[in-house]
Amino acid sequence: MQEFYIGWMDKAPRTFAQFVKKYLLLILPVIIVIAVLLGALQKKFSKGNFEFGQPTTVTGIYFNHPVPLIKVINGKDIFGNISYITIPLVGYGKHGADGIISDIEKEKNISLDQKEVSLKGTLLYNDGKTIMQVDKNDTVLVHYSGKQIASELLPQKKDLGTLSIKGEIVDSKCYFGVMKPGEGKPHRDCAIRCILGGIPPVLVVKNEKGEANYYLLVDADGAKINQSVQPFVATPVTVNANAIQYDDWIVLYVNKNAGIREISRSAFYQPGNAVACVMR
Amino acid sequence: MSASYQAVGWNKQKKKYDWIIFSFCVVYLIVFIGVTAYVNPDYTFETVLVRSTSTLALLLLHVILSIGPLARINKKFLPLLYNRRHLGVTMFTVALVHASFGIFQFHALGNVNPLVSLFMSNTNYGSLADFPFQALGFFALIIFFLMAITSHDFWLHNLGPKVWKTLHMMVYPAYFLIIMHVMLGVIQYETNPVFVLILGVGSSTLIVLHLIAGTREVKKDNEEFGLKQDGFVMVCGVNDIEDNRAKMFCIDKERIAVFKFERKLFAVNNVCKHQNGPLGEGKIVDGCLTCPWHGYQYLPQNGQSPPPFKEKVSTYDVKVQGQNVWVNPKPYPEGTERKGANF
Ligand code: HEM
Ligand code: FES
Repeated sequence: MQEFYIGWMDKAPRTFAQFVKKYLLLILPVIIVIAVLLGALQKKFSKGNFEFGQPTTVTGIYFNHPVPLIKVINGKDIFGNISYITIPLVGYGKHGADGIISDIEKEKNISLDQKEVSLKGTLLYNDGKTIMQVDKNDTVLVHYSGKQIASELLPQKKDLGTLSIKGEIVDSKCYFGVMKPGEGKPHRDCAIRCILGGIPPVLVVKNEKGEANYYLLVDADGAKINQSVQPFVATPVTVNANAIQYDDWIVLYVNKNAGIREISRSAFYQPGNAVACVMR
Repeated sequence: MSASYQAVGWNKQKKKYDWIIFSFCVVYLIVFIGVTAYVNPDYTFETVLVRSTSTLALLLLHVILSIGPLARINKKFLPLLYNRRHLGVTMFTVALVHASFGIFQFHALGNVNPLVSLFMSNTNYGSLADFPFQALGFFALIIFFLMAITSHDFWLHNLGPKVWKTLHMMVYPAYFLIIMHVMLGVIQYETNPVFVLILGVGSSTLIVLHLIAGTREVKKDNEEFGLKQDGFVMVCGVNDIEDNRAKMFCIDKERIAVFKFERKLFAVNNVCKHQNGPLGEGKIVDGCLTCPWHGYQYLPQNGQSPPPFKEKVSTYDVKVQGQNVWVNPKPYPEGTERKGANF
C-alpha cells in the first residue's frame, strides 16, 4: 500500500523523503544558474567613486554662481595657462550646499563669493567631473583669506548661443559617484529627492558609444531651477536653453516654463540620430 | 477558543527544512554577490545588497507559489506544502531587508520623511513608463507582512478560516504587484532582454502549474454519475476504495470523501476545516481520518475532531448494494453521527 505522509510525523516516509531530496537536488542548480545569470548580466556599474569616510581639504576660489562651487588651481600647463578643476559643492545626504555656505557666512559675518578658501569635505568623481560633499557637522571652512582674487582667476565665460539638446536630468551627487546606478528609472525617486533637496541638477547627454557631456541646469535668470525640473527627472527630455561655458562646465539657462519637454524613449534612441552631443 | 494550533510543533523534520531553506538562501546570496563583484569590480555594496535580496525574495515567491499546484499534481510534494509557511516567512524577511534598505538608500536623509518621499517623489501615477514602481513594492510588502504575522495557526483560529484564507489568497495580487514593480522599475533601465525572459519563464511556469492542477480538479468535480435512486447516487464499487483510505466525489456541488475503515464505509465532507485540504486524499491513522496537508484529524463516524479539538465537518449517508457504493449528497449538520455502511 502507498505510504502516507503527515506533516507532524517526525520522519517523512521513505518514498516522500527521497522524492523531496530529488526535488531539492534539482532546484539547487537552478538557483545557482539564476544567481549567476542575474549577477553577471546587470548593466555595467559606473566607475564613479565616493570617498566615504575619507575627508579631503581643498584650497581654491569659492563662487556662488552658477552653483556653489570651488575652483581649484593646480599650477599652469605647458602653455602657461592656468590649470584648474571646478568642483561643485553639495551637502550631506540629499541636500544642497547652499544652506551650509550661507550659515557659515552669517556666523562669521563674511562673504565667501570670489574669495580664496580651504574647504573640508568628501570628494566624489566620475568621468572627469568631481563634486565635493560638505557636511554641516564638520568644520567645513578650514581657511579663509578675505583678499580679492586676481582677475585671471575669475571664470572664463563663453556664450555658446541657444542649444536644443536631448538628454536625461540627474542629480549631480548620485550620478557622479554616490549611487550605482545614479540615473534611469530605478534611481528616479532618489534623483528627485536630491534635486528637491537642493543638489544641482545636471543634464547628461550621451552619444551611441556611451561618451557623455554634462550641463549644469539653472533657470533663465541664473537662479535655482530645482523645483521646476521635478517632473522631468530621469526620463528622456529635450532642453532648449542659452548655454554659457564657465571654465570646465557648461551651464544651461533654461526657461522654467517652456525650456524642458519630455520626449518618448523611442525618439531618444532613434538609430543614426545619436543623442545630441555638443562638443566643447 | 480552540487549542488545536498547539498541534503544530517544531519537530526534527521542520528544523531540517529550516536549515535547508537557510542554506539555499545563503548559496544564492553568495553566488549573486560573488558574480556581481567579479564581473563588476566597480559595484557598490548598497546596490548589491538591494539587488541580491530583492531577486532572492522573488525567487522564493516563485517556489512558494508553485508548491500548491505541485502538491495537487503529485502527493510526494506534500512535505514541502507542510513547510510552506516557513518559506513564506523567510521570503518576507528577505524582502524586508530589500525594502528597508531601498527606502533608506533612495529616500532617507532628504528634505521630507522617507515614507512621504516614497509616494511623493515620483508623482507620475498616470503614466505607465514613468509609474512610481516603488509604491507597488510597498503595498506588496504590506501584504507579505500581514501574511507572515498571521501564518501561525493561532491566527487561523482567531480570524476564522474565511478571513484567513482570503488574506492569504492576497499573495496572488501581491505577486502581480511585484511583477509590475520589476517591469516598471529596473526593467526600464536594464537593456539585456534576459531579465524579462527569466521573469517570463517564472510567471509562465506558475500559470501552467496552476492550470494543470486546476483542470484536474475541475474534471473530477464535473464527473457525472448515471445511477440515482431515492436521493442516493452510485459512485463506485466497494473494492475501488482501499482499506483506511478514501475516494473523493463531487455530487451536486458537494465534495464528499468516502472512507473505508474497519469493514465499514463512512462519508464526510471533503474540505478540511484547517485550510481546505482534501480529506479524501487523507488516511485513517489511529482511528481518525487525517488530512494530508497538515494532519488535522476527524472521527470517521461523526466528522468531529477528537477532543480537545473542536473542528467538525458534515457527514453523509452511505449504503452498499451488492458490490456498489451509493452516497446521498444531502449533508447532515457538521459533526452528526452516522452509522456507516457494512459490506
Ligand atoms: C517599500 C517597499 C519597496 C521598495 C522601496 C523597493 C525599492 C526598490 C528599488 C529602488 C528597486 C530598484 C533597485 C535597483 O536595482 O537600482 C527595486 C527593485 C526590485 N524590487 Fe523592490 N522595493 C520594495 C519592495 C519589494 C518587495 C516586497 C519585493 C518582493 C519580492 C521587491 C522585489 C524587487 C525586485 C525583484 C527588484 C528588481 C531587482 C533590483 O533591481 O533589485 N521589492 N525595489
Ligand atoms: S488543510 Fe491543513 S490540515 Fe487539513
